[in-house]
Amino acid sequence: MVLRSLCVLRAQAASLSGLPAALLPGGSGLDLPGSGLVLRSLSTDVFQNLALEDWIHDNVDLQSRSILLLWRNSAAVVVGRHQNPWQECDLRLMRRSGVPVARRRSGGGTVFHDPGNLNLTFFSSRKNYDRARNLRVVTGALRALRPGIDVRATDRFDILLDGHYKISGTAAKLGRTAAYHHCTLLCSADRPLLASLLRPTCHGIHSNATASLPAPVQNLMDHDPSLTPESITRQLAQQYLAEFGSGGLPVVPVQPSDPAFGGIDRAAAALRGWDWTHGRTPRFSVDTALELADGAAAATASVHLEVKAGRVEACRLGVAPEWLPGGPPARLAARLLGARFCPSEAAAVAEAFLRAEGGGATGARLGDLCDKMVALM
Amino acid sequence: MAMRVALRCVPANFSHKGPRLSHLAQISAALQLRRTDLTRTLSTTSQFSTALKFTDKHEWVQVDGKVGTVGISNFAQEALGDVVYCGLPEIGQKLENMEEFGALESVKAASELYSPLTGEVTEVNTDLAENPSLVNKACYKEGWLIKMTIENPSELDGLMDDAAYEKFIKSLE
Repeated sequence: MVLRSLCVLRAQAASLSGLPAALLPGGSGLDLPGSGLVLRSLSTDVFQNLALEDWIHDNVDLQSRSILLLWRNSAAVVVGRHQNPWQECDLRLMRRSGVPVARRRSGGGTVFHDPGNLNLTFFSSRKNYDRARNLRVVTGALRALRPGIDVRATDRFDILLDGHYKISGTAAKLGRTAAYHHCTLLCSADRPLLASLLRPTCHGIHSNATASLPAPVQNLMDHDPSLTPESITRQLAQQYLAEFGSGGLPVVPVQPSDPAFGGIDRAAAALRGWDWTHGRTPRFSVDTALELADGAAAATASVHLEVKAGRVEACRLGVAPEWLPGGPPARLAARLLGARFCPSEAAAVAEAFLRAEGGGATGARLGDLCDKMVALM
Repeated sequence: MAMRVALRCVPANFSHKGPRLSHLAQISAALQLRRTDLTRTLSTTSQFSTALKFTDKHEWVQVDGKVGTVGISNFAQEALGDVVYCGLPEIGQKLENMEEFGALESVKAASELYSPLTGEVTEVNTDLAENPSLVNKACYKEGWLIKMTIENPSELDGLMDDAAYEKFIKSLE
C-alpha cells in the first residue's frame, strides 16, 4: 500500500504535490511500516531550503514519524540565529562574489554552504530529539562506505576526521512538540573560498552575539575520492532508514516551490530580507580607526559606532583638526544616525552630505572620509 | 487552553518550585477550572495578582497590577540546558498572545519564546546580556525575561495555575 502510493507520487514527474498534504495531520499519512522517511530537496536556494525546513517543522506531524531532509545549496554563508554577520564573514567580498548571507533559526555558528557541502536535517518529536543518535547515522554511513575511516562525533556534536579536521558542525531548534537537528558534511566544498569569506567585515566589533569557534576543516573527497556527495547521500539514506525503521523505502525528492507547500515562497522572502539577515543582529559597537589620505598627506581618524537592529544608533568621528575642522565630520556622523549599517545606505547619506558640504578646500578629504566610512560596512 | 486536569479542591502535591499559593487561592483556582465551560461573569484575575500562571509552552507570567513579568519555567530551563544567549524584544514592541517574541539559545538548541499575553513590552532584563545563565539558576526570580502591559486580562483565565501546570508536565513525561 505504502510503496504503491509512493510510486504513484513519483510518477507525477518527480514533483510530489501529494506529498505535503499526505504528511500533514489528517492527511493520508503515508502509513509507513516504520516511522522514518528520507526527503531530498530539489532546490539549491538556501532561503527556500531554510523555509522548507521551517515548513516541515511547523506543519508535519512528527509525533510518530521521523524525517531526514537532505539538501545542498549554491554558495552561501549561513550564520546562526544570534550571530553578527559583520563579525562572522566578509560581507564586502561576498557582495562582490555574489554570495548571499543567510541567517537560520537554529543556534550555533557560521558555516559556508556550496554544492560540495551536504546539509542534513533530522526532524523528530521533541521527546525523540537525540543528536548523538543522528550523528551515529552519519558516522555509520561513512564507515560503511570507507571501512576504517576515523570519524568521530565530539561532545559538542562536531564530527572530526582523523581526530583533527572538522567535517561537520551541528545546530538545532526546539519547538513546542517537535525539534530539528541539522548538520553539515564537507564533501568537496570550495575551501579557498570558504577561508576567504569566513573573516570579519571590519575590525573592532564588540558584541555579546554568539561567536563561532573556528576549526581546521577538510573535505571528505580529499581524504577518499569515492566519498562524493552522491555516494554519501545514498548511504546516508540507507543508514537512516535502517536506524529509524523503514528500510527499503526510496529517497523522496521534494520541490519547495511546489504550491502544495503553502507559504514557502513568502517565508523564503522573509528569510532573504535584510531585516532578518542583518537587522536581527544583537546590538553591537564598532571601535576602529580609518586611514585617511588625500594623495599628498595622511592621517588617522577614530570611529565609534553603535548598531542596534542593524541601524546606526550612535556615531562619533574623531578627526585631527589639522586634517579637517570638527564641524563637517560631526555633521556626517549625525546624518548617519538611523541609517542601516550597510554600504548602499551609507553611500546615499554620504552623497547627500557631500552635495551640501563637499565643496572647497576640504572637499577631497571629506570625500575620502566618506569612502572610508562606507568601506567599513 | 484545554483544561484537561482532574479537578481537585486542594492539590495534593504542591510543588515547592513555584511561589506558595495560599490555601484559599488554591481552592479558588480549582473552582475556577470547574467554571471554564460557564460564562465568566467574574473577573477573577485580580485576586491572584501574585500567583504565577503558565502556558503550555512553559512560560510563566506573574501579574502585578497592570504589568506582567514573563519568564520560563523550571521544566523549560532544565530541558533547554545551559543558556548561552537570550534573544529578547525591544521595549515598546507590541506582542500578541501566542506570538513568538524571541528565542533562548542554549548548548542544546535554540528555542523560541511565545508571548503568554497581548500587550506591550515595558522592560527587558538587561542582566541576561552579561549573565544568560540566570535563566537556569533563578528562572522564577532574577532570570525573568520581560515585563509587559496586559491588554486583555481575560487572557490570564486561559493560562494554567501552578497545580494545573504540574499535572501538565507530568503528562508529558
